[in-house]
Amino acid sequence: MSKLRETLEAGAFPVVVELKPPKGTGVDEMLAVVKALAGRVTAFSVPDNEHAKMRLSAIAAARLVQEAGGEALVHFTCRDRNRLALESDLLGAASLGLENLLLVSGDYVTLGDHPQAKPVYDADSVQLLQIAAGLMDGHDSAGLALTGSPAFFLGAVVIPEAEPLPPQLMKFEKKLAAGAQFFITPPVFDLDKLRRFREHLPEAPVKLLVSVKVLGADEVAQAAAGQWRKVYSLPPDLVNDLAGKEPEDILALGVKAAGRLVQQIRQEKLADGVYLKAKGRTDLFTQVLDAAGF
Amino acid sequence: MIIAERKPFAEIKAMLAPYKKILIVGCGTCVAVCLAGGEKEVGLLASQLRLALGLEDKRLEIGEITVERQCDLEFLRPLCDFTADYDAIVSMACGAGVQFLNQLCSLHPVFPAVNTTFIGVNNAVGHYTEACRACHNCYLGITGGICPVTMCPKGLLNGPCGGTVNGHCEVDPEKECAWSRIYHRLELEGRLDNLREILPLHPHNRTTTPGTVIHPAYKRRYGPNE
Repeated sequence: MSKLRETLEAGAFPVVVELKPPKGTGVDEMLAVVKALAGRVTAFSVPDNEHAKMRLSAIAAARLVQEAGGEALVHFTCRDRNRLALESDLLGAASLGLENLLLVSGDYVTLGDHPQAKPVYDADSVQLLQIAAGLMDGHDSAGLALTGSPAFFLGAVVIPEAEPLPPQLMKFEKKLAAGAQFFITPPVFDLDKLRRFREHLPEAPVKLLVSVKVLGADEVAQAAAGQWRKVYSLPPDLVNDLAGKEPEDILALGVKAAGRLVQQIRQEKLADGVYLKAKGRTDLFTQVLDAAGF
Repeated sequence: MIIAERKPFAEIKAMLAPYKKILIVGCGTCVAVCLAGGEKEVGLLASQLRLALGLEDKRLEIGEITVERQCDLEFLRPLCDFTADYDAIVSMACGAGVQFLNQLCSLHPVFPAVNTTFIGVNNAVGHYTEACRACHNCYLGITGGICPVTMCPKGLLNGPCGGTVNGHCEVDPEKECAWSRIYHRLELEGRLDNLREILPLHPHNRTTTPGTVIHPAYKRRYGPNE
């Protein structure tokens, strides 16, 4: 069984850190994070052409993570593959020992670095969860029997600050029904919003990993200029504190803020674990973990 | 209706460079409404070509005609005899009309003068928006009359993606999120239960091109007995 699943089920507050697969074949930097933190975190998350920007295959990167001594959480986006390719790659991932999945629709191609590419979306994230659950039950999406079925731990995304929230909650319910076993949120900076979202969660136990992010100077500048357009908000006080500072100072303050958030989330039991985003940098992850008391 | 946009003039002019006598064929239906290829646009294109080539001391003889519908054999067939005197034909119809004309007038090269863009609606003169992807499996009865296949850039069938910001689309922030609209509409109609069921994978086999539809009455009259 995956360590992530065991840790979540034991209520032991897993920490997942998000890696940045390289744009190219130079994997040393990515794997250095794994080697440095394998003893300190539960799993390493490997995005799949994140933000529709082409990078090294998530499945290959996730396998390399496991060979380097870490446990991987591999993302699957519906944007780039039809149902045949998704199913085939899910089986491929399982055959390489990958168990933890995060199944997402995926950012649209025009937002990425190959804007003229054909967007696929043959399945949506709910249907992909169904597909993966079907494979675990021993059949593909056409109902045909498999020879050997995979064991997955199925993750999905939920957006606590979605506006409007009701359609998001409707989709959340569908993801649960389709087989999602845990959920990951986008970054949260305002814990009041997370507390309010938790009031909408069903009584049935849902494992929730909340993302905590170390802000970069570019993001602070965007927010300070009033051009913030993401599915999570930044508290104005935080933006005011960081705006205009040197990039390294912003990172240092961002690390402290992230450490505090992780501590609060854990102390108040606002989530079952955290998902750290810190530009894929070992030093930043280490500082956040130190600041959070891990 | 079918929405189209006229091709850039330079592209049309370059296609026609080898020819001395051309016929521009407009279409009086969809492309006339969207101001891309009707009778007026035939005249405009002909004038543009005459002026541009005149400035280069070149001569191009241009015939102009517009038929009611280029996608309809009834209207297109009489045109075939008329095309015999020309070196090339320029169709200002949608891609269906261009190909039908090409099929019927097999001795002449046929060139498109518009880019066919989508099936859409006429909001106002000059403002057209896409409304149908012709997916062969209409969901509008379930989704409050708002099409998730067309109005959501990702064509998601089971709810919004994670990119919706303040009810607007991740891909085009000027547009409302299709799933916010669908949810709101069904809520107003008291039909939110429609969204409880997970919609299955779309049957893309039905959209294998080129599609054919044979009306049952046609089949009864001309087809083999079932």
